[in-house]
Amino acid sequence: MRIVVDLNRCQGYAQCAFLAPEVFFLRGDEALGYRPRVSDDQRERVGRAVAACPVQAISAGPAAGADVD
Amino acid sequence: MSTETLFRRITDYAARPDPYPLYAELREHGVARQEDGSYLVGTYDEVVQLLHDPRISSDAHSRADVDEELLRAEADGMTPAFIGLDDPEHERLRGIAMRPFGPPHSPGRIDALQDDIARIAQELIDGFDGREEVDLVDDFAYPLPVTVIGRLLGIPSGDMGQLRRWTDIVIASLDFDPGEDPAVKRRRGREAGREMADYLGDLAASRRDHPSDDLLSALVGDPGPEGAFRHEELKSTAALLLIAGHETTVNLITNGALTLMRHPEAAARLRNDPGLMPSAVEELLRYEPPVQLLPQRSPLTDIEVAGVTVPRGAPLILVLAAANRDPLRFPEPDRFDPARRDNQHLGFGSGIHSCFGAPLARVEARIALTALLARIGADAHPVEDPPPYRRSPVLRGPRHLLVRH
Repeated sequence: MRIVVDLNRCQGYAQCAFLAPEVFFLRGDEALGYRPRVSDDQRERVGRAVAACPVQAISAGPAAGADVD
Repeated sequence: MSTETLFRRITDYAARPDPYPLYAELREHGVARQEDGSYLVGTYDEVVQLLHDPRISSDAHSRADVDEELLRAEADGMTPAFIGLDDPEHERLRGIAMRPFGPPHSPGRIDALQDDIARIAQELIDGFDGREEVDLVDDFAYPLPVTVIGRLLGIPSGDMGQLRRWTDIVIASLDFDPGEDPAVKRRRGREAGREMADYLGDLAASRRDHPSDDLLSALVGDPGPEGAFRHEELKSTAALLLIAGHETTVNLITNGALTLMRHPEAAARLRNDPGLMPSAVEELLRYEPPVQLLPQRSPLTDIEVAGVTVPRGAPLILVLAAANRDPLRFPEPDRFDPARRDNQHLGFGSGIHSCFGAPLARVEARIALTALLARIGADAHPVEDPPPYRRSPVLRGPRHLLVRH
């Protein structure tokens, strides 16, 4: 599945990095890094991260970020 | 009625089952000065703006009405925890506490707790067998998070009863109860807080020589680049984590269970599609937030909020639960919609003091409510609705929730 994080919206609350630590991670204390393509076994955790983002900066799924490419 | 009495009416115990009409009245007035000189804010944009404003202090020393009890406690060597401090001290202490709790240094700790939490939840639910009536607070929503925070910190389970008694006194001391002398109550609260902090400090010190895989061991054992806690800082931080890990999640789970019983269609939908539960938990945090308002803030200088000047040092009360139902921000705010999109609620606050334990609370609430829905049938219902509530208008939730299932 594809993942796109709008890093302009991201404020470093790191909720995604708690909930899907293999997909989202912090570089230093606030800058977010993430893997843009992950296998389907991460689907549930990624879904939790999407729901938990306080600024709703994450989209995930086959069409995520389609408008960005 | 005059908006000058709004806070009195909100804190009146009679308003506890349904404070939302009062919050609507507050939103209509933007910023409401109270008869005691404090200011109440309940509109979404203004609350968010204030939560992100560095001129708004969380430090009790910034208040014009200095708390004598606090000064006495500090003269005795106690230090406030980071919830009651401003940056840069807040950031330093929160950073040290975060090191063993979450990313970047401990990214998997909460994730790794999930199986444990699910097992504890299942054991509690198995205890429902053979009983027609259960108390979702005493039998489920209370023991779950308390067991989890106890294990996370590394507290022997036999000591949790004493910690519960201290916690109850500390929480009662934060309350607005017209029947009691506030000075006496605050003193009692500080004494209980001190005993709890001493206990946790001794326990942490004993982990220095015998470390184990818990937070207290990590907090005394592994200083990062920020340095380590001083002993007094460690004590107040451990007490904060324990207290904040107590009632808040209890209320999130209980408010959640009650809301789902009141909305059988949403409950049915979640039974069929547990993948919707993370979004439902966010909606619960908006619709029935366990922390209804933040009473501890004050401006460092005169500031203007929605055309009203709030003077330096005045108590500034941010009503998160009112902002969460602001129709200017959320369409149909009084509707519980477990699939709501664009849900930037303030259930965990926002800005630098945004809830430290949020990731743990989310995991616990999701697991607890999923397990509960799987166990109680669609015909489960509260014996009384509204149920009896706890006293506190801040940490709002049912004291008991008797359910026939």
